[in-house]
Formats: sequence, structure tokens, C-alpha cells
Amino acid sequence: MPFLSRLASLGRNLFARPRVERELDDELRACLDQLTEEKRRGGMGPSEARRAAGIDFGGVEQVKEEVREVRTGRILEELLQDLRYGIRTLLNNPAFTLVAVLALALGIGANTAMFSVAYGILLRPLPYADADRVAVVFMRYFPRDFAFGTMCMRDYLMWKENNRAFENPSLFRSLRMDIGGKEGVPEQVQGATVTAGFFSTLGVHPLIGRTLAAGEDEPATSSLALLSESIWRRRFGASSAVLGQTILVNGAVATVIGVMPRALRFPGRDTEVWTNLPLNPPTRYGPWFYRGVARLKPGVTLPQAQDEVNQIGLRMMQQNPFYKRLTLPVLGLRDALLGVTLKPAILVLAGAVGLVLLIAVVNVANLMLARATVREREMALRLSLGAGRGRLVRQLLTESVLLGLMGGAAGLALAWGGIELIRAWNPGNLPLIDSVRLDAGALGFMVFVSILTGALFGLAPALECARADLNATLKEGGRGGGGHARGRMRAALVVAEIAVSLMLLVGAGLLLRSFVNLQRVSGGFSAPPGQVLTMLISPGNRKYNDDRIGLAFYDEVLRRARNVPGVEAAAVTDSLPPDRQGDADTFGIEGQTLALGEMNPIISDATIGPDFFRVLGIPLVRGRYFTDHDNGDSTPVAIVSEGFVHRFLPNQEAIGKRIRQSEPGFGNKWMEIVGVVGNVKYLGLAVDTDPAYYMPFAQTYGPRAFLTVRSSGDASRLSAALRRDIQSIDPGVTLAQFSTMEQVRQLSISQPRFDTMLLGLFAGIALLLAAVGIYGLIAYSVAQRTHEIGVRMALGAARADVVRMVVRQGASLAAIGIVLGLCGAFVLTRLLETMLFGIGVTDALTFAAAPAGMMVVVLLATFLPAFRATRISPVVALRYE
Amino acid sequence: MPATNLLQGTLDLLILKALALTEMHGLAISHRIGQITGGTFQVKPGSLFPALHRMEEAGWLSAVWGDSENNRRAKFYRLTAAGRRQLKSETEQWETIALAIASALGAS
Repeated sequence: MPFLSRLASLGRNLFARPRVERELDDELRACLDQLTEEKRRGGMGPSEARRAAGIDFGGVEQVKEEVREVRTGRILEELLQDLRYGIRTLLNNPAFTLVAVLALALGIGANTAMFSVAYGILLRPLPYADADRVAVVFMRYFPRDFAFGTMCMRDYLMWKENNRAFENPSLFRSLRMDIGGKEGVPEQVQGATVTAGFFSTLGVHPLIGRTLAAGEDEPATSSLALLSESIWRRRFGASSAVLGQTILVNGAVATVIGVMPRALRFPGRDTEVWTNLPLNPPTRYGPWFYRGVARLKPGVTLPQAQDEVNQIGLRMMQQNPFYKRLTLPVLGLRDALLGVTLKPAILVLAGAVGLVLLIAVVNVANLMLARATVREREMALRLSLGAGRGRLVRQLLTESVLLGLMGGAAGLALAWGGIELIRAWNPGNLPLIDSVRLDAGALGFMVFVSILTGALFGLAPALECARADLNATLKEGGRGGGGHARGRMRAALVVAEIAVSLMLLVGAGLLLRSFVNLQRVSGGFSAPPGQVLTMLISPGNRKYNDDRIGLAFYDEVLRRARNVPGVEAAAVTDSLPPDRQGDADTFGIEGQTLALGEMNPIISDATIGPDFFRVLGIPLVRGRYFTDHDNGDSTPVAIVSEGFVHRFLPNQEAIGKRIRQSEPGFGNKWMEIVGVVGNVKYLGLAVDTDPAYYMPFAQTYGPRAFLTVRSSGDASRLSAALRRDIQSIDPGVTLAQFSTMEQVRQLSISQPRFDTMLLGLFAGIALLLAAVGIYGLIAYSVAQRTHEIGVRMALGAARADVVRMVVRQGASLAAIGIVLGLCGAFVLTRLLETMLFGIGVTDALTFAAAPAGMMVVVLLATFLPAFRATRISPVVALRYE
Repeated sequence: MPATNLLQGTLDLLILKALALTEMHGLAISHRIGQITGGTFQVKPGSLFPALHRMEEAGWLSAVWGDSENNRRAKFYRLTAAGRRQLKSETEQWETIALAIASALGAS
């Protein structure tokens, strides 16, 4: 009952306010009239009675206000009132509102976008059951020395035998697959071959059909295939009749048993076909194609599993002296997907974007402080009319939170655009980018940040307003009583802004310099990268595994390619710089004595056609290139890189020496070194050049190869003609990964580019905000000093003096900010250490250029108001009171 | 108002008590309180009306518009059932407190 009564009152107070107010007025007036009546009956005259009654009553409006104070829903009503008032105030100051909302939109928008990226990549649950219990097992050993390298079947079997930490350790390998069959033209897709436990380890269920059953990875099992939803739709029209159908995978028949949902993006985000991996008993070590994936048993932690696997690694080394310093890194699924460089980069960027928000907040706080001076009179007036100070603070806070939310809403639009931009930037190899999106979490984050920032930049001015000294302010006529302290505070805020944006600027400068270095790194080839087109050719049909048929096919491919107008040279190869490293193997040098169990390092080895060096422009240092005569019938030959000679044949004549691929015992022939060529980077631009040796394609044939052609103009225009001409030799051939060397190059440095662009963008926003901040401060200060400047000019100060005076004010603030910012940058840029290439974290050029750039921006922002100050007419200024 | 400080709870109790017998408008309630407290409490409109509105919203009082003794429109307040219960419980509470305070002050 009391509750219902309250509810009814709330409804009445909120929605029937005019009637409630009218009744209150009627009631109080009636009471006042009665009181007057009583006084008159007591013998007073009419006017005297009214006056006495008025005194007794104590002011109708005050009583009304007292009654309003106790009404149900009072706070809500006040809030609505404050909101209405706030909106009106903001609309009445469109310039202020626009600048503030823009600053906040930039800050909050950038943060919301970055939050979505960080959340999507680092936190969003992976679409696998209990994904944090799934780990990927790599293998690293010397002399191969890839941090997240692969293992061979023997290693897997040993791990499986000794495993206690994981349920059902599974093995997988990523590879390109030629998919062909009755259903359409052959195409090449990313595929994976996996053991039976793979799907249950990930806990994914098929859209239709089934996954691999236990035992379907045993040696004699027939080939089975699972399709991704995308290839199922593309090639099979999403028909369920695909189940039981056979397709050709790399020329061999496999039966389709299931279709996997889009959510399964493992091992690669573009994996489209999974086939079963038969665990044929290995007769030797190698090939090292595989990684392990397994689910931790209940109660086992990742470090415990790592401990166990380390023990197994020790045994592997005991059994095989070939392995040196062997470790088996166990990574959680997410870390395995992310790799080592992305996580720290994202954390750095998230920190940077936080600083941008800080600057935006400082900027708006500064604007609010400036306005607080102007509004002092309004506040003093309201205080004197009986408004409570708490009420004023609440109203000012409502206003600033409202401003924050407006900025947040505008920022949301920016964030949405930003995320689309980031997804578009990503050239396809930023892991987990698909789980980046603007969702309810991001929305919540935005609202939270908006309210927080609103409260943050509103609090100081609000409290100060409420503290204002009534008498002083009203007497001063609105010129501002707390002006001096407030001015100092504003100056301090601007200094902070400059310092923080300088830190961001230095960080962005370092990344930019590093990125330019990376861009400048030569991959070891001099051909203009835009004029070299590469593509992966896969003949599909197994008859091409025969080297006579295969070589004839590739001869025809090269003949037709050379006939395409615009093609200057063409060659085949199984490796391409900067990171399409083909194979790597150890080697032997004739006459070299190695201790028992010792071996030469595993280095890049490339199998190439005669014109490969000419197409890419790799210089010949000594000897000769391969020719068409280096074939199966002639002496086996090899070419080595300068780095190879430098490291393994120092101070010796390399030409005429003989080397042998791989370890002894594999039946490889000795090959005579006929040439030495320049170093080429096959492991990525940022990686030190590794030595390499080359073998002629005609002597070490493999059915799958890159075709590289050099053109006289833009190489990408050749794609269509090459595709047509090559496929007309055999329609079963698949061609994939068409890209110019320029595209390959850019793709290989896409993450540094992503980091650089984002940090650059953040620093740009910060710089803009800081410029607006200092401009606002100086402009305001000039406006305040109109009188003083007028007097100075009247007393004979030249325009140049005035400009100098104003600019000096800005420049000295900037100088303090820059010194502080440099100190901060000196400390913070250490975080960038692992992201930099070719420069140190205290790169002198960056540390000199960034402050200089900052100073220029500050001076520009200062000059405008300074110039305006010189236009002040002394007469007008003195009248300005 | 004389030296006696009118606590809010006391004011509520006095208003409830004043309205116990019959409905009244604001000024009459003020006079009635003065009368039943022998002039000790004189409630001014600035305290009376907020209290009346608060108690009305709490559901202890209901109000109707009617004609006053000199035929003017006025808002008359009366106790609701909840108001009577409130009066009873507040009275008991007050008596307990008054007794306790009296005994405390009487102690030597």
C-alpha cells in the first residue's frame, strides 16, 4: 500500500507536473488568504494584514521549493531538469560543444576501436570447446633452430608413448592442396592433414556428416576428407549429397565424410580441407612437417605439461645425436595462433591509445575550465537565488557526462569506421582478426569510458564553480575571481598534453623509422618488385611426379610464358624471398671432417630453373649461372651464396668444390659448385641473411613449383594471359597465389606496417589535440589580456613586441612539456624494443625530430592568436571594460 | 518557533494526532497543533507543507479539495488507514522514549 502510494506519487510528479504544481500553488495561496483574513478579523487594515500574513507565511516560492524537495522522484526530476538545462547550454555554445565532442570522439573512438581489436585478438573466447585447455606443441632444435618449428613422425610417436599430461595427442601438418574432381575446375586451397584425435581435441562438431573416428589414422586407412563450409558452398552448392562423394586431393582419391562449420579456423584461418594423416611407421627421422595439438587432462596445468614434454625432449636427444639443444615449446592455443610479436604490439598500442584518451580528457577539462570563468557569474547568481552547491555540482557533472556521452556516440561511429579500416588494412595474415568486431562489449566499454571521462573532466571545474565566492564574483562583474590559480592549472594541463603527445610522437617516429628501414632492406634481388610476378603451379595429376613428364611439362610452361607479350624472362623455383622459403636441409662438403654426431647447420636450399637469378636480378659473384645443359644427363652441379662461402669455405676457392644435400646415407650425389651468387633473404626481411645453396630444377625435380616472370611493365597485368596459356597445356593444373614480388614483400611486413600506421594515427590525433589545447589556451589568454595589450600598444609597444610576448608564452609552455615528454619517452620507448628494426630505442634522429616537430606545431598554434593580438586597437581595448 | 527544536518525527506525530479526530486544511492543522501543545509548538508553513506532502506521498494522509469555514476552496487532509496505524505505532514509540528519558533524567 505505501509502495503503491509512492508509485502513484512518482507517476504524478513526473508526468502530471503542471497539475501538481497548480494544486500546490492553489493550496498555498488559499492558506495565505486565510491567514490574511484572520489578521484582518484581528483588526488590521487590508494592506497591513497582507504584509503581516506574508511575513508569517515566509514566502510562497520558498515554501514551494521546500515542498518540491521532499517529493518522490525528486532526484530523477532534477536529473531530467539538469539534462534539459545541459542540452540547452551545450546548444547555446555550439563552438565549445563541437570542439569538445570532436576531441572526445577522437579519444573515445580510438579507444573503443582499439578495445575491440585487443579484445577480439587477445581475449574473445576461441570458438572451440574449453579452448584454454588446448595446447600446440612445437619443436625447436639446433641446427635447424626455428623457434616454433616442426617435428617428425618419430618424435610424435615418442611423445605419444610417453605422454601422461594430455588426452589423445594429435598431429597435424598444413599444406597446399590441389582439389579436383567431377564437381568443377581444379583449384588450390590451404589444407591440413591431421590425425584422428584432431577434431575432438578442438571440440568442434561437423555441420553435416562426421569427423574422423578413432583409428582412422592407422596405416592402411583409406583417404578421407572434411570440407570447410566455404569450399562446400563454392564447389558443391552446399548440397548434403557431398557426403560419401569422392574428390581428388593432390591427385589422390579421398572420400568426403563431413563439412566443418565456418568457426573452425585451425591450423590456418583459411584452411578449407582436412584429410586424415595415416601414421605409417617411419623408417627414419624426417621429414619435419608436423606440429602437435592436444587437450590437457583435467587438473594438469600448461607448465606441468611443459615439464613433462621437456623430459621427453631429453630422451629424443639421447636417442638421436642429430638433435642439439632440443626443446618442445608448449603454447596455449591462442598464443600459438598469435605468434610472439602480435601480443606485445597490441599491448603497446592499447597503452598508446589510452594516452590519446588522456589527452582528449585534458583538452576538454581545459575547455571546461575556460568556460568556468565565463560561467562564474551564472553560478553565483544561481547560488544567491537559493540553489544548493551540491545541486550545482550535480548539474555541472550532468552536463559534462552528457558531453562525454555525446563524444562517445560520435566516437562509436569513428570506432566502427576504424575497425572496418583495420580489417581492410589487414592483408590477411593478422591472426584472429576475424574475431574483431564492434559488439555489445565494445558498446559497454564506450559507455563506461564516456561516463568516466565526463566525470573526470567535469569534476574539477564543477567543484571549483561551487566553491566560488559569491560576493567577489558578483562585484567583479564576471571577470573571474579565481582567474590566477585557474590560469596556472590550465597551463599545467597544456604542458601535460604536450608532454604526453610528444611521447606518442617519439614512439610513432621510432616505429616509422624502423618501418622505413624494413622497407629499404634489400631481399637480395635487384629486379623492380612490381615487375616480377610469381605464382604457384601444381600439376595435380600424379603422372607429373615422374620427372621426365614433369620436366617436359615445365619446359612447355616456360616456353608459353616467354611468348606472353610483356614477359622478358621466366623461371621456375621452389623458394622465393622474402619469406616463401621452400626447403631447408643440412649439407656435406667433400673432404670436410665432422666429429661423430656433428653436422652442418640446416640452411635454405632452393631448387631453381636456369633463369631464376636473371628474373630476380640476383648478382653472379663468381663462376656461372645454371644453364639448360645442367640436366639429369650431365654432371650434378650447385651454386652457393656468398654467405655460404664466407661461413663454410672461408679463404678457399669455392668453384670446383663439391657439396652434397642433406646428411650422408640418403644417397645424394656430390654436386660441383659452379657459381657463387649474392645473398638472398628467404626467412623474412628482418631476419639476418642465411647462407643458401641452389640446385638445378632439372637435376632435383619436384612437381610443385613457383613460376616467376619478369615483365617490362606492371607485372600484375600478366596474370590472366599466363593463367590461360598454362592451363591450356593441361586443364587439370592449378595455379594459385598470383602476386607480384611487391605484394609478397608488403605482405611479409604487414604487421610492422599495422603497428606503425596505428601508432602513427594515435600520435597524429594526440598532436592535433595538443595543438587545439595550446591554441585554446593562448587565444583565451589573449582575449583576457585585451586590455593589457591595448595599454601596451597605446604606450608604444610595436606589433612585433606583442607577437613576441604571446609566442613566448606558448613556447615556454611547450619547452617545459617537451622536456617532460622527452624524459617520459626515454623511459617508455623501451617497450618498443622488440618491435624495432635497424634502430635503437633512443634513436637520436627521432629524439631530435619529434620535439622539433612538436615545437613547430606549438608555434603555429600560438602564432594565430598572437597575430590576432596585434590587431587589437588600443582605443577599443581600453573601452572594453 | 520557540526554543524547542521540532524534530521531524515529532512533527509527523503532531500532524497525525491533530488529524486524528477530523479532516483539516493546512492552516487549521497549524492552529490545532498550537492549541493541543498549549502554544509550545507553532508550525510555520515552510515546515508544515513539506511534511504534509511527504506524508501524503507516503500514503498516511489523503487529501480532498473542499470549502473552508469562510467558504474558500482549501485542501483538506485526513488520515488513511495506514496513517492511523502509523499514529498508533508512533505514539507507542514516543511513550516508550518519553518514559525512558524521564526515568533517565530522574535518576540520581
